[in-house]
Amino acid sequence: MMQNELHNQRLLREAEQANARLHTRRHFLRECAFGFGSLALGSLLQSCSIGSANAGTSAIPFDPAHPLAPKLPQFPAKAKSIIYLHMAGAPSQLELFDYKPDLMKLDGQDCPPSLLEGKRFAFIRGVPKMLGPQARFAQHGGSGAWVSNYLPHFSSIVDEVSFLKAVTTDQFNHAPAQLLVHTGSPRLGRPSIGSWVTYGLGTENQNLPGFVVLTSGGKFPDAGKSVWGSGFLPSVYQGVQCRSEGDPVLFIKDPKGMDRDLRKASIDAINQVNEEEYQEYQDPEILSRISQYEMAYKMQIAAPEVMNINNEPAYIHEMYGTQPGKACIANNILLARKLVEKGVRFVQIFDWGWDTHGTAANLSIDVGLNNKCRTVDKAMTALILDLKQRGLLEETLVVWGGEFGRTPMLENRDGKQNPFKGRDHHVEAFTIWMAGGGIRKGVSYGETDEIGYAAVSGKVTPNDIQATLLNQLGFDHEKFTYQFQGRPFRLTDVSGKVIDEIVA
Amino acid sequence: MFIFSKKIFIVSIAILVAAGFYWVGTREAPVDFSADVKPIFNKKCISCHGGVKKQGNFSVLFRTEALAKTKSGKWAIVPGDPEHSELIRRIRSRDPEDRMPYHHDPLSDQEISVLTKWIRQGARWGDHWAFTFLKPVEVPRLPGSFFGLIPGKGADWARNPVDNFIYQKIAQQHLTPSPEADKPTLLRRVSLDLTGLPPSASLASKFLTGNQPQAYEELVDSLLASPHYGEKWAAGWLDIARYADTKGYERDAGRSIWRYRDWLIKAFNADKPYDKFITEQIAGDLLPGATDDQFIATAFHRNTMTNDEGGTDNEEFRTAAVMDRVNTTWQGILGTTFACVQCHSHPYDPFTHDEYYKFMAFFNDSRDEDTWADYPLLRQYNSEDSSKLASLVSWLRQQGYQAEAKNIYQFLKTWQPAFNSLRTNSFVNCELNDTKWLAMRNPSTARLQGVLLDGKTQLIYRYSTFAPGGTWTIHLDKPDGPVLKSIRLDTAQHRSWIIGGEDLPTTTGVHDLYISYANPALKDPNQNGLQFDWFYFTEPFPGKGKAGYDSAYLDYWNLLVKEVPSTPVMMDNPSDMHRATYVFERGNWLVKGKQVSAATPHTLNPLPAGAPANRLGLAMWLTSEANPLTARTMVNRLWEQLFGTGLVETLEDLGTQGAEPTHRELLDYLSYRFMHEDGWSVKKLLKEMVMSATYRQDSKLSKESGGQDPFNKYYSRSSRVRLSAEQIRDQALAVSGLLSEKVGGPSVMPWQPEGIWMSPWNGEYWISSKGEDQYRRALYTFWKRTAPYPSMISFDGVGREVCTARRIRTNTPLQALVTLNDSVYLDAARHFAWRMQQEKGDVQAQISRGYEIAMQKKISSSKLLALTALYKTALNKFSHDKQKTFEMAGLDKQHNQPPLAALVVVANAILNLDEFITKS
Repeated sequence: MMQNELHNQRLLREAEQANARLHTRRHFLRECAFGFGSLALGSLLQSCSIGSANAGTSAIPFDPAHPLAPKLPQFPAKAKSIIYLHMAGAPSQLELFDYKPDLMKLDGQDCPPSLLEGKRFAFIRGVPKMLGPQARFAQHGGSGAWVSNYLPHFSSIVDEVSFLKAVTTDQFNHAPAQLLVHTGSPRLGRPSIGSWVTYGLGTENQNLPGFVVLTSGGKFPDAGKSVWGSGFLPSVYQGVQCRSEGDPVLFIKDPKGMDRDLRKASIDAINQVNEEEYQEYQDPEILSRISQYEMAYKMQIAAPEVMNINNEPAYIHEMYGTQPGKACIANNILLARKLVEKGVRFVQIFDWGWDTHGTAANLSIDVGLNNKCRTVDKAMTALILDLKQRGLLEETLVVWGGEFGRTPMLENRDGKQNPFKGRDHHVEAFTIWMAGGGIRKGVSYGETDEIGYAAVSGKVTPNDIQATLLNQLGFDHEKFTYQFQGRPFRLTDVSGKVIDEIVA
Repeated sequence: MFIFSKKIFIVSIAILVAAGFYWVGTREAPVDFSADVKPIFNKKCISCHGGVKKQGNFSVLFRTEALAKTKSGKWAIVPGDPEHSELIRRIRSRDPEDRMPYHHDPLSDQEISVLTKWIRQGARWGDHWAFTFLKPVEVPRLPGSFFGLIPGKGADWARNPVDNFIYQKIAQQHLTPSPEADKPTLLRRVSLDLTGLPPSASLASKFLTGNQPQAYEELVDSLLASPHYGEKWAAGWLDIARYADTKGYERDAGRSIWRYRDWLIKAFNADKPYDKFITEQIAGDLLPGATDDQFIATAFHRNTMTNDEGGTDNEEFRTAAVMDRVNTTWQGILGTTFACVQCHSHPYDPFTHDEYYKFMAFFNDSRDEDTWADYPLLRQYNSEDSSKLASLVSWLRQQGYQAEAKNIYQFLKTWQPAFNSLRTNSFVNCELNDTKWLAMRNPSTARLQGVLLDGKTQLIYRYSTFAPGGTWTIHLDKPDGPVLKSIRLDTAQHRSWIIGGEDLPTTTGVHDLYISYANPALKDPNQNGLQFDWFYFTEPFPGKGKAGYDSAYLDYWNLLVKEVPSTPVMMDNPSDMHRATYVFERGNWLVKGKQVSAATPHTLNPLPAGAPANRLGLAMWLTSEANPLTARTMVNRLWEQLFGTGLVETLEDLGTQGAEPTHRELLDYLSYRFMHEDGWSVKKLLKEMVMSATYRQDSKLSKESGGQDPFNKYYSRSSRVRLSAEQIRDQALAVSGLLSEKVGGPSVMPWQPEGIWMSPWNGEYWISSKGEDQYRRALYTFWKRTAPYPSMISFDGVGREVCTARRIRTNTPLQALVTLNDSVYLDAARHFAWRMQQEKGDVQAQISRGYEIAMQKKISSSKLLALTALYKTALNKFSHDKQKTFEMAGLDKQHNQPPLAALVVVANAILNLDEFITKS
């Protein structure tokens, strides 16, 4: 109770601060308007609500001149930012979290027809064999969560985590399933979670993008940039891809031959001419342009700084298992911590290469999956511990998962045996875990049947997860809408329910 | 004379005023349903009482529903009797549990009074303005022309009817129009608007130095006649057509469809009337004697996505593409949202659930099936082969084979109508390889359903082999049914696709064909031996024994197997391959409801007399003068392109949930004229707009106009609008002298940072184009859906996954980073600096000239001061740093001198000025 009150007080303080910031911002704009009358300022602040013909109570103010100005959520939020770790390709729940000893007993037997009738799989045809768990499981922590030996580090922090063991989807192909997870719809064209969040909340740190995307594994996720696209929201809300090779943010580096002083001089000159232009035209958009150029200048310093992990102490590198200079998920996870620390709202991490069909050794359940786990286990564990030790875990929601699950059957491809042990795409059950950001600790919610084929209780969908994420950020997913094509659209489309069972 | 007139005038006014009082005193003004009542319903009532939700069994969507008895047994609306209308009682109620809107703010007194009056006057329903037939609109008379007696500002100011409509509202708002913009501003504005580029030097000097009154009109005419005009307007249409150079989804592999983009450019340049423009894109293939160009126009609806991901259900994605065609047609051409009706009857607009699927039936019988190759394709022969094809056809005609000539021509041009192998099923020991092609093992069987074999004694099929030899056999109706044909494959191995032909015995009727394959050479039962792409059953090539047969047949076969460039196009199924359309329950394609046939919504204009129930009929309906939406949508879009905002702000939705029009009469006037007087000419319409006094105004905000009308809804000034992503690139290339003037051709790959393209399972790479292709206009940039060109996206370009009717302009620091630092803009700055340095005079003169090239006008002294100061700072720096000089100037040893490097910094600044990336 006490803690709750403290929490609420903190939120109230935050709300006040946010308001004060808005106020200061106006003040700043007035300052940078170089003393021009209140006329321009008035129209500057009036410009809002594009694309919303019937601005109801739920409409989020949108100012095209300052689309990323910080805004307050609909109700006090438990989380301020989200780090979403997506293992693109879909990791096997049966080797990691969903322990099924009974499945071992069926290993090598023909799959019973009842599991195949009326079902469709991406590759499995005919009658496949059952495949027992390929990892060794044990219970961990006070909560007694089952985790396999593929994730030895993670096993030590299970008491910080809520597991959702009965997640289901209705998309068994990667691209549509990833779109469903990140945009609420399996078709292209909808805004991603991070876009909704920056649309609703703006960004805390104007020197950094509000929604950052980090990728590893050598490829983009299957659905491409659409999983961090802004859909019908203004494109300013799409995720900004930050890169560990080349420019950390596209075009952030000054051209060769242009040092910082000269860049400053050039932006000053541009803005001086723009001021002249403003004198003549009195168009408030020019003032906005002036401030965008100032912000760009600051972002050029802030972004490379935050994107540089080299200045982190050695013990942090050790903790995360980073590989400086490489595009790897451990580096990206450390970056994610740095970014949320600096006020970035939403960090989306994609790691490609989890599609363990068994068509090659690196895509097998026994070898490939284990190797992939080694690349992420230490870092994701470190993330939780590091956020905790910095007092950031309470306000940072961490989500980990894939786009669907994998079959309890050994994959055969087009009726043929695959060369290695693999599992096909599976929609009826998979596991996602969350931690921090007002999520309960040490909870496992939802159950699958004795072979992990289908959810039997506590079934949740990607839309439910999205509703929960928005809830933690202070939004009612049913009222958080954007008017488009004549109707209010929302992230969760026409479904979704907050998973109260894991909300603290 | 004047005094006398004035007296009469005053007397007339007095009489009019008196009459007015009398009229108001005895009758209340009629309430307009669409203007007054519907907005209240939509805002306050419809979310609970309409469409999907009918709380208390009361809905205000249709009149019949609104007047029906509600669940409580009371009548919500009793026409003529507000006192007995439950609706009125409930909105007036003071009990919060009783009052409507339930648990929301009460209606205002004014709103209550409107609804009360409306019911008293009979609760007459009206249609939403955009769904009503377009009627001629009278041009408002302006104050100055009142009885022709009193001269006034409005009549003097107005240049054409557009201005009469605009002035009327300006005057109502007590605003005054702005003066005409200065010549340089006008020159730059109209040139960017019509061609997307700054004016050429010769056009600019002709206009700026000429003093004749018709100089502006001549400028406009030259711009409309420029080949770059078509590029500008095609670029805009590409968002509507969701044009991209890739197929979308996971693999997002390339697609060759740029000939459609070139068709658009040609169509705009030729000012193809908009009704023909739409007809050819919707149904060019169905026009009598359709030309290649008309086929290519139909690629409009082949810009839908194709899913190549292994394991996908092709029917699911075929269906998604068909639905996308429906949604695009509505959003892009009809400016109305229709997608809601996919799942349920429309909550706001008068469309029902079934009507969506009836409309879908127009597109659902098309040949495309989410195949990897994007069939059907228009095969484009080179000129030599085209003339061979022409002589082949004429030989067939000479022999009297009219029908055969037509079929053979179509087959050679499209390889249609063939059965794609992905339609096979009932697999035994075989599968669809990667869910795309039927692949056979030893031994295996598959079924091809419903093949009409009447008279078809020729089989042509496309296949490849993984092993030499083998035999494949066609059985009729059962896996072990009678053998229609057994085909022994040759001993060569054909890893790439080849086309085979076989004679078949005469058979009649429709059959299921069981295809079996055996090849003892395949020892591993899991190894694929033979793979099919498609099967085509046809009559034999006619004319055997006639003179010229041998060479005709040889030409036929050579043309058939020739690998040629191609473009995806629309084609319908022949009657024996007809695909039925069903209602999808709640929009779920797997749950099929009743079967429907093609029809348009009942509340809009009927299909024109004699229109066939196919896409051609649909095109006739879209372009019928009775269609209320097509002309309005296009006029609104053209207005938005010139003025920054549409007359209806929501270009994508003129329906009841869209924004209210600011000038409905003007929109209707122009739309009527567009159809009835100007023969759907886009150029005429644009000319009318840019010749208006409204367009030619200055864009400076006065205290009065800025304060009273910050968003310029009344057009008492011209709007300042940030240029589009395309214009920003094109302009930078143009002023630096780099821009290639080449029109059309395959898409190009200008410089782009590393690591943008990383689609899984794809293996395609961004390879920088060479030479002038590095400097083409933005619309030629290769567009990959899942990884679009980054700088375009920064400036609010859209992903082109689905139709986008309107881009929303934003202003962010990432945009600044593009024009400051992107190599493309640095390259432009270097060439721009070089161009400045070639000018005579000192550095001030050079900078002044640079600014003039960019802005078409002379630089002010204070701006020159700011840029010169920057030059000096830079020069000072570079004079002490050879390395930086070298890097910034970027030319060769001889020219990489500090003054040039400093000018590059200035050029970079000019390319970033707000006034440069904005249209004033």
